[in-house]
Parts: sequence; structure tokens; C-alpha cells
Amino acid sequence: MSALSEEIREQIRQEFPKYPNKRAVTLPALHIVHDAMRAVSTDAIIGIAELLELHPAEVHDTMSFYNFFKDEKHALGNHRIWVCRSISCMLRGGEEVLEKVCNKFHVHPGQTSADGKVTLEFAECLGACEGAPCILVDDECHMDMNAESVSALIEKL
Amino acid sequence: MAKFEPVLFARINKPDSTSLTTYKADGGYARIKEFLSMAPGDVTNLVKDSGLRGRGGAGFPCGLKWTFLPKDHPGPIYLCINADESEPGTFNNRILMEKDPHQLIEGIIIACHAIRSRNAYLYLRYEYGRSYRVLDAAIKECYAAGLLGKNILGSGVNLDIVLHRGAGAYICGEETGLIESLEGKRAWPRIKPPFPAIEGLFRQPTIVNNVETLCCVTQILYRGGAWFKSIGVPPDPSNPRDPGSYGPKLYCISGHVNKPCCVELPLGATARELIEEHAGGVWKGRKAKAVVPGGISMGFLSDKELDTKLDFAGPGKVGCLGLGTAAVVVIDDQTSMVDVLFNCCRFMSHESCGQCTPCREGTAWMTKILTRIRIGQGRIEDLDLLMEVAGSMGIMPGTTICGLSDGAAWPVKNAISKFRGDFEEYIISKRATETSAQKLMEVH
Amino acid sequence: MATVLVNGQEVEIGASERLNCIQAAAKVGVEIPAYCWHPELSVVASCRMCLVEVGDKKPDGTVAMQPKLVPGCQTPAKDGTVIISDSPKVKEARKATLEYLLLNHPLDCPTCDQAGECYLQDYSFNYGRGYSRLNEPKNIKPDKTNIGDQITLFTDRCIMCTRCVRFTREISGSAELQVVSRGSHEEIDIFPGFPVNNPLAGNVVDLCPVGALCSKDFLYQQRVWWLKSASSVCPGCSTGCSITVDQNEERVYRLHPRPNEKAQGHFMCDAGRFGWKYTHSDQRLMSPETRTNGHVTPTDFDTVLNSVRAALIKAAQGGKGKIAAVLSPWMTVEEAYLLSSFLKGLATDVTLAIGPVRIEGHDDQFPKDIKGNVVAPVKFTIRAEKCPNRAGVEAVVTHFTGEVMPFEELLRLASGSQFKAVYLVGGDPEGWMTDIQAEAFSKVETVIVQDILPSPVLKHATHVLPSGTFVEREGVFVNHNGLAQLIHRSVRGPDGTRPDGRLLWDLAQRPGLIQTEALRKEIAGAIPALAAIASPELKGQGVLLEAAVAATV
Repeated sequence: MSALSEEIREQIRQEFPKYPNKRAVTLPALHIVHDAMRAVSTDAIIGIAELLELHPAEVHDTMSFYNFFKDEKHALGNHRIWVCRSISCMLRGGEEVLEKVCNKFHVHPGQTSADGKVTLEFAECLGACEGAPCILVDDECHMDMNAESVSALIEKL
Repeated sequence: MAKFEPVLFARINKPDSTSLTTYKADGGYARIKEFLSMAPGDVTNLVKDSGLRGRGGAGFPCGLKWTFLPKDHPGPIYLCINADESEPGTFNNRILMEKDPHQLIEGIIIACHAIRSRNAYLYLRYEYGRSYRVLDAAIKECYAAGLLGKNILGSGVNLDIVLHRGAGAYICGEETGLIESLEGKRAWPRIKPPFPAIEGLFRQPTIVNNVETLCCVTQILYRGGAWFKSIGVPPDPSNPRDPGSYGPKLYCISGHVNKPCCVELPLGATARELIEEHAGGVWKGRKAKAVVPGGISMGFLSDKELDTKLDFAGPGKVGCLGLGTAAVVVIDDQTSMVDVLFNCCRFMSHESCGQCTPCREGTAWMTKILTRIRIGQGRIEDLDLLMEVAGSMGIMPGTTICGLSDGAAWPVKNAISKFRGDFEEYIISKRATETSAQKLMEVH
Repeated sequence: MATVLVNGQEVEIGASERLNCIQAAAKVGVEIPAYCWHPELSVVASCRMCLVEVGDKKPDGTVAMQPKLVPGCQTPAKDGTVIISDSPKVKEARKATLEYLLLNHPLDCPTCDQAGECYLQDYSFNYGRGYSRLNEPKNIKPDKTNIGDQITLFTDRCIMCTRCVRFTREISGSAELQVVSRGSHEEIDIFPGFPVNNPLAGNVVDLCPVGALCSKDFLYQQRVWWLKSASSVCPGCSTGCSITVDQNEERVYRLHPRPNEKAQGHFMCDAGRFGWKYTHSDQRLMSPETRTNGHVTPTDFDTVLNSVRAALIKAAQGGKGKIAAVLSPWMTVEEAYLLSSFLKGLATDVTLAIGPVRIEGHDDQFPKDIKGNVVAPVKFTIRAEKCPNRAGVEAVVTHFTGEVMPFEELLRLASGSQFKAVYLVGGDPEGWMTDIQAEAFSKVETVIVQDILPSPVLKHATHVLPSGTFVEREGVFVNHNGLAQLIHRSVRGPDGTRPDGRLLWDLAQRPGLIQTEALRKEIAGAIPALAAIASPELKGQGVLLEAAVAATV
């Protein structure tokens, strides 16, 4: 009885032919589950481990290395906003953008707004320094942001 | 100075620049069949003789690295394309992938032929969503056009490219960290030897190459090694070990400038040229206090070192770690180096993989010391302590497994030795510039 | 032969030896400190404690030293290798590494189990800076008491050597332990619901160089400097793991493995590690007795032994084939010899049988993969034969009677009232006879029971001789592979018990106190198959009875 739907399991299986062993599918599998379920729960980890013929601790070991994946207690909101805090963005006010937006939506970095709409986080260099301060909204990068434009963007989501 | 005609960036501003049609119309893939009929060893020699050095940060001669693979190995041999670009200030690979994916793909095809690899894994940092979509589409176009897959254009050469997304960890840019991450484990870099060319991905011979490096490979095959060598800086005659700094380089400029951008110039440009001729000068009419020469790992140039040639040899001559990713970040004269150094140390301690003692504990210690300094509780002794801690970590003294520690140490060493006045004044005056934003982000 | 230089001293490395710098230096008594390196685990070179200067001595005598420090654990010691571990550079690096490790390490020494056998303490004392320069808050991590049924974790004491994680992945294969998070926030943990309860679990506590992973059984029981140690052999199965028994004031507190590549390697299983509690059980037989018609008379050893001797002599003189003995596979070689030779002296046609050899399941090999299949090469085996010395006892019995009678055969003969007197030696803490089997002795006139715990045969006993457990005796056990090893007395048994060796020596009326060394010489001379036990090699890692046999785990 797996926490993973057959559709998710099939998506994971489709990764197998790309690699010579199943362990290498760990990161793709975590992404597939995380995107679909906004978190990787304990049961999901067991499901992934079964599919990949690994021990759950091995999957979780990899998962916890990256700040990226959330566990079931910290599931993502509908959208994930990262605000860069590395050197080029810091020099152009990126950290203050994060603070203002966190205050506006009453969250600490890493938390999800009360209405479940957005999870606000800091990121390390997003590689868009020509448009600092920049943010990542789900899978899209937005450059030359300030607190107002970020808030407006969030409101429109 | 005559304007350098971009080669790597030749297509990025063309409409529909990412499509196969546009690339082909510009002459792309026109000679790929010819390249695939060359003996692999001849391709390697061509790249070797061109003097191409890796653009990922280490600057190791690319063709030479390819020769480290075991001869007559039955395979599989793997090519890993390092698209994990995470060095703060760096974004040239992003532009290459978002705007001209086929130049990279053609470089991958050529490189895989040279090293006899049938399987290439493109490790792309997760945050580059647009690059992912563009590369995915471009790769699909290639398969459809017979440029990837079995028997490319009837040449008998097979090649599959797998796009593998990361999950936000800087250390996945270290070649063996990348390999461990690809294999599904935590990205703890491996001890060397064995080197990846002998035992790499899935314990097979593996070459890891940077995106920009592979784009250079494409251009070298089309335009020749002599062309590549006609650009850049020849070896220092007084140094027999200097392989020179040949070819075009994509320089990123960001921070306190009016026009942050990425510009393609021959290797050897100076920070002053980049700031004044390409980035519109320091912003707000201010002056530059310090300049990061190649991503924060390389340390800082002082305002007196802005004429340093940014080639592989130049930054080292003024006490920086090296050219790194050639990502220039400008810090104006109204910014405290203490704040800047804190940002660098916080990044490194956050990204330390945690495997070896000096980096795991040392980077966190340096960040904690700087935090305390920035709440007004610093002591003068802290500066010598920071210098000592920074001096004890890294692959250069041999105390760590990978170079993250060297990259963590160098900003500390440069900042305190070149800007000691800033630090002393800050401590003595018990200034406190920790911002509420930074307090909010503290990870305990 | 390869010559390596360690701090100027020459070390010879054998042609078939593959040693790293740590091992090469150890050959000349030079310690290169290390945490993460372990001879049976993969090399990760992550602790950086073993950094040394390494170079190459060319045939012309010039030495080229590498400019950087290198980890001694990942650097092979080959012909011409020059190792320097006492230079200022190395000393400074050690001070730095120890300082780093202590940055987030809680000052728990006063309450930490590991104190006195802690690598961090020892190395800090020998190689550390001696003072702290830390002025920052330490990272605090929560303790985890449910790592395993036997294992608790003091998380912030951990120095991230990852020996424990690698053990569960490379030796047991059960992969319960993991590292979570990244950087200085890393912690060791299990996955919820998958605790470390594999049969080899306890080894991670031994492996932990500091007091992070602790044994719940031993937690806060003793300070290690109060413990007295004796080397012994685990009697739990025929693998015969070399162990050390730690006791204080005649109470055993813990067992842990003693490295022995001729025996089992570096580990032991939990069944053996925790399976000694019976030695302090209040169920132990603690009073010599004679029993007549159900009437129990407690007595002393001298009296009961005289009675036993008299009964045996009388039975032997009463005709052919009247006396028999069951020798437990838990007896030492010396004990089996003393009993066999004494009885043979009374009756040349004495019947000698071997006690029941308890077999449970199959040999359990490790590591195993996710499906439970064994992965070659095998790193550890828990054997199905659950006794320590079947091979040794059989060698003795074969010498005296030409064959070894199985236990079931003797039961059959006993129930047919063939024997007038039987001498039964038990010693298996899990019991050795069912009620039905014990009935076989109901009609035997003299039933002498030498045992540690009550068993069904006691109801037919005429003489009860409370004997000793393995921690109370000295002698030789021979394992599955013919490796003879010595067990040593660690504690005195309870009053009213007597270690088997002394008991049988007194029974045979040999003069004075038992001298096992002289006895072994006697045995070696008498029994060619056991000749090797007189070798001085016995006292170290043990000696193979057949020199041509290779060691196996």
C-alpha cells in the first residue's frame, strides 16, 4: 500500500532506462514526488525506496542534503518564491526585499503564508546577477525586482 | 580598443535563437558529420593544441584532461556536462544555455566522439528552469533530426544526452560532488585519487566539462586551434609551466555598476575595462572599493589592482586565488567590507557539504565570528584568528577533500589583508551593521 | 620486501602486505591518530586527523617530499615511501583539526560513557592545543534515544566520522543509519520506523570514537577505568569471536570484540555481546549436593567429589561398559581431557559421548542486500552451531575412544539400563535436555550432573556439581575453522560453584592447583591433532590446529 499513486510510480519508472542503476533515479524521483505532492512524506520516501530497491534511510539521506525538499510537516504552498541573498543581490538590496515581503505576508523565510498560497524562502545565487535583485517563482526567474514588484507579483498569482 | 566580435555569444540576440533552424542557418551542425569521421584521437589533439583551458574555475587544460582516460577501455565512458553554475556572481552559462543551446549540444557531440562516450549527462542546477525547458526542447529537436541517438547522421556514432536536474547545492559543481549527486547520493566530493578520468560516474572513466568550455570546443572545431590561439594571452616566457590564457571568455559584471551584463572578450581583459567600457561605470557616481575577480571564491582585488589582467595567471599575482569563473562583482566605496565578507562566509558555511572537519567546522566558525563582529562585539584578535583559520583549510595545504574551503578561505584572507583598516575601525568603533533581514535568515 | 621510512626509522613491509601510512607507522610503534579510518570499512579520509607529510626516497637516496599534507589512511606505504608525522606542519594540522572538532562538541566528559576510552580525549591530550579560542555559541542538537533497542545517540557529541553509517551499509548491509542535513548542522539519524536492530547492531557503539553512540545496556553503569579486562572467546557459536570481558568487583559489565583477523575480524554479534547475563543469574546452581531417593543433601565439594569418585570406581568394577560420560561442547579442551583421561583410567571401555550440539537455522552471513541475499565478500558470519568447542571436545574424545558417540545414541543406551554410572556435563545456558530426553537417565544408579543452571535431568541426579560459566574459566576453545584460542578467567563464580577445570582436576586427584599451561603440554604430547595448543602463538591471536588452513571470517 504505497503513498505514491500509480501515475507517479509510472513517471519514476520512466526514468530507469536513462541510468545504469536505480539509485541514480533518486533525485529525479524526489522531484517528481515533490512537484506533485508539494512535499515528500515519510510514506512517500518508503515508496520511492521500494521502487528504487534502496533502504528508506538511503533515500532520506540524499533528500535531506538539499534544502530543496520539504517533509510533510513543512509542505509547500501553491507557489514557491525564492529571493536571492548572495553577493550581487545583497549589494543591490536583495535581502531587504526578502524581509519586506516576509513581513507583508507575515511569514519567516521558509514558511508558507496562512492562506497556503506562497512559500517564501531565501536562495543562494540564482545566476541572474545582471538583474539583481532577482527572485525565482516556481520555475521562472524574475529580475530587477524590488519589494513592491515582488508583492504585486505574488498578489497576481 | 577594437570591439571584439562575439563568437560564443554570436547568436544570443537573434530572434528565435534557440531553435535548430536558426542555429543551422548560422552554419551550425554544417560540419558535424565531418568531425564525427575524424579519429577520436585527432579531435583530442586539436582541442589540446588549441590551448583551451577549462572555464569552470580550475582552468585545467581541456584536451590534456581528455587524454587521462584509459586507452582502449571497453566502456562505458561518460561525459558529464557541469551546468551547476552556482558561484555567486556567475551567470554566463545560463545565458549560453537559455539563448544558444545548440552550440553547447554540438560541443557535447564533438567531445563525446573524442572521448568515445555514448552517454552524456547534463547536470543542470534546478534553479535554471528556463535553461531546462530550452535544452529539453533543443535535445528533442536533435533526436528528431538524427543529430542524437543511434547512428548520428549515418556516422555510426551513438550518443544519448540525459538532462538531470539538481536540487540547489553549490557543492554539486565540484566534479566529484556532481558525480555523487548524479549517482543519487549526497553530494560529498570523493577523495582523489582515483580521478574521474579513471574512476568516475558509476565507477567508469568519466570526463566532467563546463558548459562554456564545451561551447569553445564547438568553435575550435569550426574555426581551428590557430584561431583560438590568436585570441587571449600567450604564456609568460619566464614561466615554463604556464599554458597561456587563450580564447574568448565570457565575463560577468554585476554589483555596484550601472549596467550589469555579460560580455565576451579575449582573455586578459581588466576589471577597469569591464567596469568602464562595458558596465557603464560604478553606479551612483561612486568609486570602486573592491572587486571580486572571478566569483567570490577568488577573493578581492583592491581599488589599486583594477588593472590586473583577468586571465588565468593575473589574479594570482595580486594574491587572489585565480581567475575562477571570471565573474566580476563590484563593491562601491560606501560599502563595508565587513558586510561583504560576512555575505561570502555565510554562503560558504551554508554550502559546505560537511564531510571533512576543517571545512564543516571552520566555515561555520568564520561565519559565527563575523556575525559577532557585526553585532558590535568583535575584538581585534578576531582578525588574526580569522586569518589563521582561513590559512589552515583547503586543498592547497592539503587539509580538505575539495576546493570549497580554499574558496571559503580566500575572501577572508584578501578582505582582512587588503582592507584591514575597514575591519579594525569597525571593531574598535563597535559598529553593528547586522540587518534585521539577516537576523530573519539566521539558520540555527 | 619494501622499505618505508617513518620519522627516519626503517620499516619493512612484506610482499603481500597492502598497508597505508597509519598501518606502516604502527609497525614501529608510531601512532598516527585517526577517527574515520577503520581497517574493515571503506576509506573516506574525511576526519583529516591522520594528515602527514609523505615523500618518496629515490634509489639515489634523495627524498622528494610532497608540498601538501596528505591523509595517511588513503596513502599506500610502498617501497621508498617516506612518512613524516612529527614535523611542525603535521603538529599544527593536528592542533587545528582537534580545535575544529571541539568547537561544537559539548563538554560532557564528566557524564559521558566514553571518558577514559575516548579518541577525542586521548588525541586532545596528546596532540591538541590545550586551550579553546571559541567565543561563539555552540550548535545544539537533540539526543535520540531510539536509534535502536540497544543504542542511544548523544547527537551533539558526534564528530561525523561516519564509521557507524558505513558499518550499516558495508558490513551489515541493513543501511539503517544516515546522515541528515548538510554542513555543520549534520546529524546521524535513523529513518523513522527503521531502527538499528540488526544482529550486528552493537558494533556501531564500539566503532563510535566518541560518546555519541552509546550502549543502553552499559549506559552510566561503570567508569571504564574501574573495569578490569580479560581476553576471552565468545561461546555463543562456532565462529568463536575473540572478545574482551570487562568486570568490576566480580560482576561482568560488558563484552566487546577484540580484533583478530585469524578469528572473526573486528566485530561480534549482539547475541554474543549481550548474551552473558546468565552468568549472574540467581537461578545458577550454587550448592554441591548429593541426592538419594529424592532427598537433597547440600554438601561441600570435597565431600561430593569423594562420593562421586567412589561411585564411579564402584560402577567401573561392577563389569564391562558400566560407566559413560556426556561431554558438553561448551567444555574447554583441558576440561574434556581431564574428565576423559580420568574416566578412561577407571575403565578402558568407558563410553564417551558429546553433548547435544545445538544448531539453529543456517549460518547467517553479512552483508546482505535489500532483498536479504548475501553479498560477496562475506564480512561476518554468525554460525548455526551454537556452541564454542565441538571441534576441541571431539578431538579429545576421539583420541580416547576412537569415535565420538552422538548424544541421541547415548540416550538410547542409557535408557536401556546399560550404564551403572553416567557423568553428565552441561554448560549450555539455553538448556540442553528436554524432560523426555532426561527420562533416559531415570534408571541409572549414579547420575552425576555438572552444570551451571537447572535442567530437567536434575530430577534424576544423584550428585550435583555446580560449575562455571565461560567468564569464570580458563582453557582452549577451538572454532569452526580449527582455530584454538584461550579463554581467561574474568570473575569468580558465586560461592558454591567451582570452575570446571579445578573441579575435574580435584576429581582426578591431581596434585596441587590446576596448571593449565602444563596441562596443555601434556595434551599436546598425547593428542597429535591438538599438538598446536602448546605453541606460544596460542596466547596471542590463537593458533590454527592445521597450519595449512587459511583464516576465514
